[in-house]
Amino acid sequence: MSTTPLLSVTGLRKSFGDHEVLRDIDFTVDPGTVTVLLGPSGSGKTTVLRSLNTLEVPDAGTVRIDDVEVDFSQPRGRRDAEREFFRLRCQSAMVFQSHNLFPHRTVLENLTEGPVHAQGRPEEEVVAEARVLLERVGLANRADAFPGQLSGGQQQRVGIARALALQPRLMLFDEPTSSLDPELVGEVLGVMKDLAAEGWTMVVVSHEIRFAQQVADQVLFLDNGVIAERGPAAQVIGDPHEPRTRQFLHRILDPI
Amino acid sequence: MIANQISLNPEREAQYLFTEPYTYSNGVIVTAADTDDITSLEDLEGRTTAQSSTSNWAQVARDAGAEVRSVEGLAQAAELLAQGRVDAILNDNIAVLDYLAASGSTDVKIAGEVEGESTAQAFAFRQEDTALRDEADAALAAMADDGTLTEISESYFRADVSTEDGEGEADLSDRASDNTAWDVAQDAAGPMLRALVQYTITLSLLSMAIGLVLALLVALARLSSRPWLHWPAQGFISLIRGTPLLVQLFIVFFGLGQIGIKLDPYVAATLALSLNVGAYAAEIVRSAILSVPRGQTEAAATVGMGYALTMRRIVLPQAARTAVPPLSNTFISLVKDTSLASVILVPEMLRVAQDYAGASTEFLALYSLAALFYWIVCALLALGQGRLETRLERHMA
Repeated sequence: MSTTPLLSVTGLRKSFGDHEVLRDIDFTVDPGTVTVLLGPSGSGKTTVLRSLNTLEVPDAGTVRIDDVEVDFSQPRGRRDAEREFFRLRCQSAMVFQSHNLFPHRTVLENLTEGPVHAQGRPEEEVVAEARVLLERVGLANRADAFPGQLSGGQQQRVGIARALALQPRLMLFDEPTSSLDPELVGEVLGVMKDLAAEGWTMVVVSHEIRFAQQVADQVLFLDNGVIAERGPAAQVIGDPHEPRTRQFLHRILDPI
Repeated sequence: MIANQISLNPEREAQYLFTEPYTYSNGVIVTAADTDDITSLEDLEGRTTAQSSTSNWAQVARDAGAEVRSVEGLAQAAELLAQGRVDAILNDNIAVLDYLAASGSTDVKIAGEVEGESTAQAFAFRQEDTALRDEADAALAAMADDGTLTEISESYFRADVSTEDGEGEADLSDRASDNTAWDVAQDAAGPMLRALVQYTITLSLLSMAIGLVLALLVALARLSSRPWLHWPAQGFISLIRGTPLLVQLFIVFFGLGQIGIKLDPYVAATLALSLNVGAYAAEIVRSAILSVPRGQTEAAATVGMGYALTMRRIVLPQAARTAVPPLSNTFISLVKDTSLASVILVPEMLRVAQDYAGASTEFLALYSLAALFYWIVCALLALGQGRLETRLERHMA
């Protein structure tokens, strides 16, 4: 007896010109669980993540989040495609590697921009929620600052709060700590751990092996556009079956 | 309704009813005051004359073997003559006398007559208005008898042009110019300022506003992946940037007039300038939009924004900062380009300066004054640009 997965991905394919980036990607994510995508650079893990909100449009396959499903193999007009992609995109929220905060808006406005102007929710209510979220990521006192006035770790925490403000079903993290100075990584991972503990459904592309070990319910190891190994964190990281998984982990954990 | 100062010729005499002539004019040769080797048409062989391109005097000069330079009017021609850049001018004596009397110039003189180029001017009436014509004739005869015509002529031309063999030679003895450059500049400053505010500035603001809206639409069209939006935008930019503004003004005003689209000069100038600004600013706006990182558009998409909202709230506000310096440049150019509108009859500031310069021959003073006014306006704009940049930069750490 298992719950219905919140996210299911089947037969995902994507090529950039002659180069096949994704070949037949299948996986599911149960509600309230954390999935970490590992893999060497160029393995396609970021492309998988970006396919989930159609920032990258796959050539074939389906993505379903909750009750919204898009079949990318199906031919459709430009307008229909945009409408469908938009519906799927609204199911999730994304935290970017380079945070991509809106530099011309204050921290608070970064959080309210989507809910107020795109979702059309009442501003008063959204602002109140946004202040709670800023409190939660420890930045209540920086609400009126501009992103350029914050440190990298603070910026990324605002990025997380901005994603949460959308009240998504699914949180997507694209290497959220990769562009941070090492001493700032902890504060961001700390917030992500809290979210996991609160029961958020998360898909995370990351090189943070210790984070994966502690938080992930499921680890997918991608190599060369396919999922080479999958399973609970303890198994994939603690006792990998595939030689290339072992090789990758070895390079990450013991680089010298 | 009557028409006056019509030169008589057989075609016109068949068509209209004329009074007796009240002025007689003949062609004269004008040279610099210190030139004494040009007194007749024969002397023009191999010389250079300055003529209005549309006047038949240009043809007379060419027939005499002179090279012809086209100018805007008699005042410009006279200035070229005084500066020694051309050798002579051919024109009719009434125009020349009028110019000499109005300008008080002593740098040029009437050096000789053009044989066989004499004409008479009269009032013209419709064929059926014989009674009216007879009344006018009687009045003219009375004025000729009591010397009124001669008096009027003397007062305007300082010469009697009311009889066929009258003193076509101006008596310029007491005519020394008593207006200094400073006086003329002072007289002109008021009307020039009015023209600056009424035409130069409003034309600039209006054209910039319309041009910016146009530029935004063209830039977005050019960035579109839809070919039916992309290619027309591309073509528009190429066409406008690839042709002189002066030609565009001529086409919009004189050209469209020929196919029945008769635009008011101000409207025509606004249209041509807006199109011009639109094309140049479109490329600025396009590159400013492209300078906003892709991640911004992606982030906007993930917070649920569509194309229009993303442009309006995320991309354009950031693009604005990048676009302000080059757009200010365009605006400053536009302010100066409004001077070209004078060629399609807009009485903007430079035209007013030219009118004063034509009448007084104080070219240096008046054109310098015009330059000063343009400079002040542009300096104020640059000041505004600086403030706007500071404002748009307030979020930069």
